Amino acid sequence: MKISKVLLCAASLGLLAGTVQADGQLSDTSGKRIALSNNYAGNSWRQAMLQSWEEIGSAAVADGAVSAADAYTTSENQATEQAAQIQNMILQGYDAIVLNAASPTALNGAVKEACDAGVTVVSFDGIVTEPCAWRIAVDFAAMGKEEVDFLATRLPEGGNLLEIRGLAGVFVDDEISKGIHEGVAEHSQFKIVGSVHGDWAQDVAQKNVAGILPSLPDVVGVVTQGGDGYGTAQAFKAAGRPTPLIVLGNRQDEMAWWAEQRDANGYETLSLSIAPGVASLAFWVAQQVLAGEEVPKDLTVPFLKVTQDTLDETLAATPVGSVANVTYTLEDAQAVIADAK
Amino acid sequence: MNPLSKPWIWSWGAAAIVFFLTLALTSGRGAGELAYAALSFGAFAAIVGLGQMLVITLGPGNVDLSIPASMTLSATLALKVMGSEPGTAFFGLFVALAVGFGTGLANYALIFLLRLPPIIATLAASLIYQSIAIWSNRGLRIKPPPELADFATGRMFGVPNVAWVGIALAVAVWIVLEKSAWGRWLLASGQNLRAARLAGVPVESVRAATYISVATFAGLAGYLLASFSGGAALNMGAEYLLASIAVVVIGGSSIAGGNSNVPGVWGAALFMFLVVSMLNSYGAGAGVRNVLTGIIIIGIVIAASTKRVRL
Repeated sequence: MKISKVLLCAASLGLLAGTVQADGQLSDTSGKRIALSNNYAGNSWRQAMLQSWEEIGSAAVADGAVSAADAYTTSENQATEQAAQIQNMILQGYDAIVLNAASPTALNGAVKEACDAGVTVVSFDGIVTEPCAWRIAVDFAAMGKEEVDFLATRLPEGGNLLEIRGLAGVFVDDEISKGIHEGVAEHSQFKIVGSVHGDWAQDVAQKNVAGILPSLPDVVGVVTQGGDGYGTAQAFKAAGRPTPLIVLGNRQDEMAWWAEQRDANGYETLSLSIAPGVASLAFWVAQQVLAGEEVPKDLTVPFLKVTQDTLDETLAATPVGSVANVTYTLEDAQAVIADAK
Repeated sequence: MNPLSKPWIWSWGAAAIVFFLTLALTSGRGAGELAYAALSFGAFAAIVGLGQMLVITLGPGNVDLSIPASMTLSATLALKVMGSEPGTAFFGLFVALAVGFGTGLANYALIFLLRLPPIIATLAASLIYQSIAIWSNRGLRIKPPPELADFATGRMFGVPNVAWVGIALAVAVWIVLEKSAWGRWLLASGQNLRAARLAGVPVESVRAATYISVATFAGLAGYLLASFSGGAALNMGAEYLLASIAVVVIGGSSIAGGNSNVPGVWGAALFMFLVVSMLNSYGAGAGVRNVLTGIIIIGIVIAASTKRVRL
């Protein structure tokens, strides 16, 4: 983090110099128009993501960094529908499309059309594999592994784990689970005794955990994917079982529950997920590409971690019922780009 | 009379078999826990399933695909007006039921006034309801008032409160269907709409009441589910679209309409929960689980419907 801070300062100074002196590298983007193509809006994470976009986009338009930052969401979460949406954006003459894709491969054709028409495409969260697009990805496998590493520090003697998975068939679910299993292979004192799909929703996780619990031996820890920790805790409570160490996923209700448990019995855990604000990072990356900055095609964004020490601070900053968030600035984007070079 | 000729026997039998197969794994440990969980979560599927059963009974082409959106919208608005304040539970319930009533009325208006097929009308309307839910609260999860949360997760005589609500509703629906003129009208309309109309059944009123009932049930289910799981989420209804139709079919009601089966809906709701629990307990992966669930459902539907032919 320290190094990236230094780079960040260096990069922002460079940019200031660039804008004042116009050193020939970065061009003015005040006339450029950026669109967000989003495939789904039906959960709190996506809502927070859209809000981050709106905040950063309207500020950027007001400051004259770009001339438009419009957000479009498809209604049915279908790749075909989103492909049509991208084609419309090309016709509307957007200079860049920031994309959270319904499928990593099914949109490649439309993305290629956009590239051929001279439109910059930056995908994030739900990334696309088309080589002409930029990708801002999270190392989900590392996130899964970190959960088990954390459990190993808190529960050195090991024990039985319950794994809550996400939505079956989705890339992110496979990646996080892969990381978790790598972690378990490394820390052989742990054993995954059960696995259910929670679909990243508290009520689904609650239901499926309640269904599998009667057949499980004592569970010391639960590894999750985010949006499922509170429901899991409720299911353990309803079954009259002791609450295991549940790794959480930054949702406000999860953190509020954590703070409650901590105050009552000193509960300690870790919470981690991607910040919905990654949309704002993608916005600035697109702006940098339009400005002529050389940006590597694959960028990695760190996940947002909440620890025992930062819990109160993060909880206070998160709106009730929402997700812990950070909004990325131009400087953050430049730091991420510099890191990838 | 041969007990196997009752179509609802099959869903209850399947639920019992799956229950004991799960317990075989644990050598009998956790039986009470599993039954309690099945009653809790089965109640939500049963409530929306009862509504869907009434609509499907109306005859071919009748189905309500807006159940998930009605659940989400009712729950979102109810939890928003309650705002976690103690003493607002009944007001919240009223709002949830009123929103459900409203969505049902809107669905029927689209079907009747615009002559849209119910599948199209309810699917299109559900996009509107879902958008209103998103717009009204931006997906924020508001906690239910404490006494409501206690009620939704609590129990009475060892049975979950939500299951009591589901059972009471099932009894009420059964009485209406079997003992009231309205129930007879509904069955007559489902068996032959034209014949029913000629016989003097107020067919359109029956259809209107049915579409309003299903949406009101969805509102109730959404209210209870949100109170049970600690808040309304925008995607909370998603799995109840298929579940509501599956419990009707597995429960032995005729998909062609004109024949409904109340006890079967509850048996099927328990079965749907237990089969997923069993496959999870045996460690089946998501793919295997979905395939097996599909095969088992098809098997039960075939078993239940062939027996009915022999009746």
